[in-house]
Amino acid sequence: MYEMNQNLRLARAYVPFQVFSQRWEPLEGLMKGTIFPELYFPYKRREY
Amino acid sequence: MDREQLALLKELMALEFTALELHLYLDTHPNDQRALMENNSACQAAQAARERYESCYGPLTFCAQSGFPWQWISDPWPWEICYE
Amino acid sequence: MWFYEKKLQYPAKVGRANLQMAKFLITQYGGPDGELAASMRYLTQRYTMPVPQAKGLLTDIGTEELAHLEIIATLVYKLMDGASVDEIKRAGLGAYYADHDKALYLVNGEGVPWTAAYIQSKGDPIADLHEDMAAEEKARATYEWLINLSDDPDLNDTLRFLRQREVVHFQRFGEALQIVQNYLDCKKVY
Repeated sequence: MYEMNQNLRLARAYVPFQVFSQRWEPLEGLMKGTIFPELYFPYKRREY
Repeated sequence: MDREQLALLKELMALEFTALELHLYLDTHPNDQRALMENNSACQAAQAARERYESCYGPLTFCAQSGFPWQWISDPWPWEICYE
Repeated sequence: MWFYEKKLQYPAKVGRANLQMAKFLITQYGGPDGELAASMRYLTQRYTMPVPQAKGLLTDIGTEELAHLEIIATLVYKLMDGASVDEIKRAGLGAYYADHDKALYLVNGEGVPWTAAYIQSKGDPIADLHEDMAAEEKARATYEWLINLSDDPDLNDTLRFLRQREVVHFQRFGEALQIVQNYLDCKKVY
């Protein structure tokens, strides 16, 4: 996991590219805040 | 705002949102052919829904046709609508 | 140029008027990690982006943030709707009322007015895109704290939408960063 990929450099940030595969229907996408399932990361409200 | 108008407005929001998501995706993936095709049909669907809404309930966009008197300024404005 | 579209991006609801939440939420209108700061940051930085993907993305996300600014304004407006002076005083909004009544104004939750000092435009695309990614994360965190502060499911529904948009924008800025980094690497070869 910590092995250095040859294409990656030190002192640089990397975000992997999204690969579009599927999407939600318009209304479901709107309600969720994205049409892309792979980008959907909902928040769980904290109860203190 | 009655149920029918609100339903059409939400449908338009959903279709425009889909177009926006594909649009932002394409900004960083300009060579994704499938996303491009879906973007074009999403824009078409959004435009059709917008024209349907505007013909029934008045202008949403700057260049929409207006009946008499000038309908652009007619209530409700977006922040005044109850979206229940 | 820009045209206005006479609709919200999302059907923004509140379950009930709530002055306390209005006071907290207004930071996303005129606060340091709010929607105005986001929009102005991206629309200002776009001129010195070196690749078309980044110019397009900053234009489009900067524009979407204006739609979010309108959603926040709508929520604050609805949360303050019908409040009496007495209720305003009890919610700690008396000083706000003295200056603005129930009008929208660009301040954070403590009344500090919006300032361009919240944003940077460095002229270095790597530095600017890092700032943009950090801005999305800070706004995401703000929405999470606001969701924790609110027990109104309708309000939280809209806050969840806005929070998820920050996640998507972060991804797009991250992709733009890779594109800019590659572009600058290739440029150095020649």
